[in-house]
Amino acid sequence: MRRNRFNAFVLIFVLGLIVVSGLVVASKPTRLGLDLKGGVELIYQGTPTGETKEVNGEDIERSIEIIRERIDKLGVAEPEVSRLGTTEISVSLPDVTNAQRAIDQVGTTAQLYFYDWEPNLIGREKAIGGFPGQEPPATLVEEANKEWTAAGRSTSKQSNQQLIFSGAFATAYGAVKLAGEQEPEPDCGDCSTNKPRYYLFDGTPQHKLIAGPEFAEKDLFISATGIKRAKKERCKDDEAIGDCQAVLTVPPGTIVASQQPTDPGGKIIEGVENAGWYALRDKPALSGSDITDPKQEFDQVKRPNVVFGFTDDGREAFQQVTRQIAQRGQARAIGPASEEQAEQLSGRFAVVLDNEIKTAPTIDFSQYPDGIDGRTGAEISGGFADIQEAQDLATFLQIGALPINLKLISRTQVSATLGEQALDQGLKAGLIGLALVILFLIAYYRMLGVVATLGLAVYALVFFALIKLIPITMTLPGIAGLILTIGVAADANIVIFERIKEEVRAGRSLSAAIAVGYRKGIATIIDANVITLLTAFILFVLATAGVKGFAFVLGVGTIVSLFTAVVFTQALLGVFGRGRLLTSPRFVGAGEERVRWHFDFIGASRWFFSISGAILVIGALSLSVNQLNLGIDFESGTRLNFSPEQSVSTDQVREALDGEGLGSAEIQETDNPQFGEGFQIQSEELQPGGVAAAKGALSSEFGIQPGSFESTSVGPTFGAQVARSAILAIVFSLLLISAYVAFRFEAKYAVPVLIAVAHDILITGGVYSLMGKEVSSGTVAAFLTILGYSLYDTVIVFDRIRENVPRMPRAAFSQIVNRSMSEVLTRSLITGLSSVFLVTVLLIFGGTTLQDFAFAMMVGIFSGTYSSIFIASPVLTAWKEREPGFVRRRERLAGPDGTVPAFADEVAMARLSDDSISEAEVEEVPAPVAVAESATDGGDPATNGEPATAPDPAAAEQAERNARRRERRKQRRKHGRNR
Amino acid sequence: MALVVWFTMGIALWHFTVFLPDRFWQGIVGALLGATTGAVVFGALVAAVTGQGLGDTDLGTALTAIPGTAIGLAVVWAIGVRQERPLESQA
Repeated sequence: MRRNRFNAFVLIFVLGLIVVSGLVVASKPTRLGLDLKGGVELIYQGTPTGETKEVNGEDIERSIEIIRERIDKLGVAEPEVSRLGTTEISVSLPDVTNAQRAIDQVGTTAQLYFYDWEPNLIGREKAIGGFPGQEPPATLVEEANKEWTAAGRSTSKQSNQQLIFSGAFATAYGAVKLAGEQEPEPDCGDCSTNKPRYYLFDGTPQHKLIAGPEFAEKDLFISATGIKRAKKERCKDDEAIGDCQAVLTVPPGTIVASQQPTDPGGKIIEGVENAGWYALRDKPALSGSDITDPKQEFDQVKRPNVVFGFTDDGREAFQQVTRQIAQRGQARAIGPASEEQAEQLSGRFAVVLDNEIKTAPTIDFSQYPDGIDGRTGAEISGGFADIQEAQDLATFLQIGALPINLKLISRTQVSATLGEQALDQGLKAGLIGLALVILFLIAYYRMLGVVATLGLAVYALVFFALIKLIPITMTLPGIAGLILTIGVAADANIVIFERIKEEVRAGRSLSAAIAVGYRKGIATIIDANVITLLTAFILFVLATAGVKGFAFVLGVGTIVSLFTAVVFTQALLGVFGRGRLLTSPRFVGAGEERVRWHFDFIGASRWFFSISGAILVIGALSLSVNQLNLGIDFESGTRLNFSPEQSVSTDQVREALDGEGLGSAEIQETDNPQFGEGFQIQSEELQPGGVAAAKGALSSEFGIQPGSFESTSVGPTFGAQVARSAILAIVFSLLLISAYVAFRFEAKYAVPVLIAVAHDILITGGVYSLMGKEVSSGTVAAFLTILGYSLYDTVIVFDRIRENVPRMPRAAFSQIVNRSMSEVLTRSLITGLSSVFLVTVLLIFGGTTLQDFAFAMMVGIFSGTYSSIFIASPVLTAWKEREPGFVRRRERLAGPDGTVPAFADEVAMARLSDDSISEAEVEEVPAPVAVAESATDGGDPATNGEPATAPDPAAAEQAERNARRRERRKQRRKHGRNR
Repeated sequence: MALVVWFTMGIALWHFTVFLPDRFWQGIVGALLGATTGAVVFGALVAAVTGQGLGDTDLGTALTAIPGTAIGLAVVWAIGVRQERPLESQA
C-alpha cells in the first residue's frame, strides 16, 4: 500500500516535471556554443606585469571581471569568459566576425601613466627636446640627423623632423641603449614598474627590434603564442653587426616609450616604421587609477578625444604637476610673454598607455599660471587614429587596467553558417539515434520497451529543460555527450529488463519479477553510473573548454537518466503492472529463451588473449613507425577552411598562398553539403595578420563563398596544455575509479579494470596510428568516454560476479565467472548494439567533428565490450584462483584429468556419467548449498541447478553451522530420552 | 612516444603468457608488471646507450621492447618459482 502511494506520488511529480519542463523549453532560449552559432574564441595566458611578481587566482578572477566589462561595452551578446587551468582565460564571443578587433579590445593591458615630460627626458634627447623655446645644440641635432639617416629614415620628412626636435631616437635600439646605461633604482615605489625589462635586437645595421619588453630574458626567445624564436650568437658588443643577436636590459627607474608622429592636420601617422623612441625616467605623476568617469567626446576641431575627471588625490597631483610645468615655462620667459611665445616656452605633459605616448599636450603657463584645476577634469586629444581608438581608450580607462599581461595563445574563428550546419547535423543525428534506440527497445522488450520509451521521452524533455535553465552552453562535443547519455539511459532499462526477464522465466509472476528486477538491478546501475559520473567530473575539472561542455552534459544527463530510467519507469510499472497488458510474459519479451549462453568463456580466454596480443603487437609496431597523427590542438599551428566561389585545384590554392609564405602548407580537399567543394589548409601557426593576409589572397584569386571561411590557430603553449590536461584527466580518472571499484568490490577487482582500460586505450591508439587519423581534443574526449564506457561495462560484469560469489560457495571461481558472464552477455550485447546504433548515426549524419568523435567511440565500444568479457574477467579469474580458498575448491572439483568443468551444474552431471560412482556418492559431493532467499522476494527459483541466493558467504556458513547445531541438539535429546 | 610503444609492446606480449604455467610471482598480474616494466626499462636503457630521443621512434623502438619484456617476465617467473619452493618443502 505504501509502495502504491509512493508510485502515485512519483507519477504526479513526473507529470508536474513534464509541465514545468515544457514551459521552460517553450520560453527559454538555448545557449549555443561558438562551434554551433559562429564567432571568435580567444584563449589567453596571464603573465606578470611590472607590478606583480607572479599570477595568482585573484589576478585571474579580476582580469575575467575586467574582460567581461570590456566585452559588454563591445556590445557582444552572451559572451563567455571563464578560467581555464591556473593561468589561462577563455573568451568566447558569439557572432563576432572581426577577430582582430576582439583581440585588441580584450587583451590590451591598458596601463596608463602621466609624466611631466621634459624633466624625465634623458641625455641627448633632453638636450634637444627638454628645453622648450630654446634652440637645441647644433652638434647634437647633427648627430641625431646622422643616426636617423643611418636608420634609413629621411630627415627632411616633416613627421621625422617633428620627432627629431622632440629628442626622439629613430630606432628602439637607440632609446633602449640609452635607457640601459642609466643607474637602476632597485626599490622604485613610485615607478610604473620595479623590475628590469629585456629587449632583443637583430644584428643588422638598424638593429631591428625582435622582441621586448619582457620581464624575463628567456621570454625573448619565445613568442606570445609559445613559438620558439631562433637563438643566435650574442653580438660581441652593442654596436656589433653580423649574424648575431643583442639583448639589452633596461633597469628599474627608466622606461622606453614610442610615439607616432602626426601630420599637419593633426592626424596620427601609423606604423611602427614611422615611430620615434624615447628613454624616460620612470617618475609618473599620476596613473590610470587617479582618474574618474572617462568618456569619448570630440574636441573643438571635431577630433575624437577622451575627457575624464580625477579622484581627490589625482586632482591634487594633477594640479601640482601642471603647476610645476607652468612655473618652469614662466621661468624660461623673460618678462611678459606673448601668446605665441608662451606656447613655444611651455612644457609638456605626456600620457603613456602601455609604453606608447598617446599624447603630450603643452601646459600653457600664460593660460594656467597656477596649473590646471582638476575639478573641471582634463582631456586626452590628438593621439587617436580614429574615433574607435578613442572609444576603446575611454572604455579601458572606465573599466581599469588589467592586473596582469595577457598573451594570446589560441584563437578560433567559426563561421555562423557552418555552425548552424553543424547544429542541424547534430540534432538530426540525435533524433535519428533516439528513434532507433526506441524502435529497438520496443521490438525487443515490447511493453517494457514502451515503458522505457516513455522514460526516454521524459528524460529528453527534462534534460533539455535543464540545459536551457542552468543554462548549459551546447557545443558539438556537448551534443555527442547528450546522444551518449541516451545510451546510458537506455542501458539502465536494459539492465533492469534483463533481470525482469530472468525472474519471469524462472517462474515468478510479472509483478513480483518487476519488483525483484528493479531491486537487484539498482545496485548495478548505481555502480555503473557512479563510474560515468566520476569520469565526467574528472573531465570537467581537468580538460579544456570544448571537452568541459561534453563532460558537463554527460554528468547532468547521467543523473537525470538515473531518475527517469529507474524511479519513473518503476513507478509506471508499479501502477500499471497489474493491468491486462502486463499479464503475459510474452508482452514483456520474456517468452521462451531463444539463446541461452553456455559458453566456457574462461576456457576460451587464452585464444581471446592471443587475438588481443596480436592486435596490440600490430598497434605497437604501427605506433613506432607511423606514430600518432596529432592535430593542431596538440602540435600547434593554424588551420583554415574555405569554399571557393569557382572550381579550383589544390595546386592553384597552393600557388595563391605561396605569396603569403604558405606554399608548403598542407592542403586537403574537403566536401561540404552546403558549400560543395572546399579546402582545408594547415600550416605553422599564423598571427592574426597572417590569417587575414591568407584570406585576402584566397579571396582575390578565387573568391570565398560567404560564410564558408573558418580559422583556428593554436600556439604550442596551449597545445602542450591540452596534451597535459588530457593525460592528467586519464590518470586521475583511473585512480579515482580504481579507488571506487576497490571500495565497492575489493582491491583485486580494481586491477583487471585498469588492465581492461589500458587495453582499450592502446588498441584505439593503435587503430588511430594504423589509419593515420588525426587526433584532436575531440578525440581525447572520445578517448575518455571510451574509458568510461569500458569501465561501465566491466563493472556490470563484475557486479554479477560479486553477486554470484556468495551464491556459489563451493564453485570454482572460473565457474562463477562463466555463470556470471552467461547471465550478463545478453545485456552487454544489447547495450553494445544500442550504443552502436547511436554511434553509427553520428558517423553517418554527424558532420566532420561528430564523425571524428564517433569513430573513436565505435572503436572503443567494440574494444570495451570485448575487454570487459574476454580480458578483465579472465584476469580476475586467474588472480582470484590463486587464493587458497579457491585453490582448495578447484582441487575438490577437479576430475581425474585435473580439469574443472566450465559450469558448476556440470559437476554433478559429470560425476553421474561416471559409472564407477553411485548416485548416493554424488549426493556426498560437496554440492552447493541451497539457501533460501530473503522473505521479501520469496526465494529465487532461477538457480539453474546451482544454489539459490544467500546474502553473503558468512550467512551461508552461519546457516550450515545452525543446521549442524540443530542436528546435535536433536541427537542429544534423542539420547537423553533413551537413557 | 617511445614510452607508449614500449609499454604497448610489453602489454601485447604479456597476453601470450596465458599459455605458460601460472608460476609467476603474483600470477598474471605479476607477469603484467614484469612485462611492462621490463619493456620500458630495457627500452630506456637501449635509448640511453644509443642516444635516441624519446620522441623519435622507428621499428627498432618496438623491437627493443621484446627482449626487455622477456627479461621482465623471466625475473617475475624466477621470483615466483623461488617462493614456491619453501611451500612445496613444507607440504
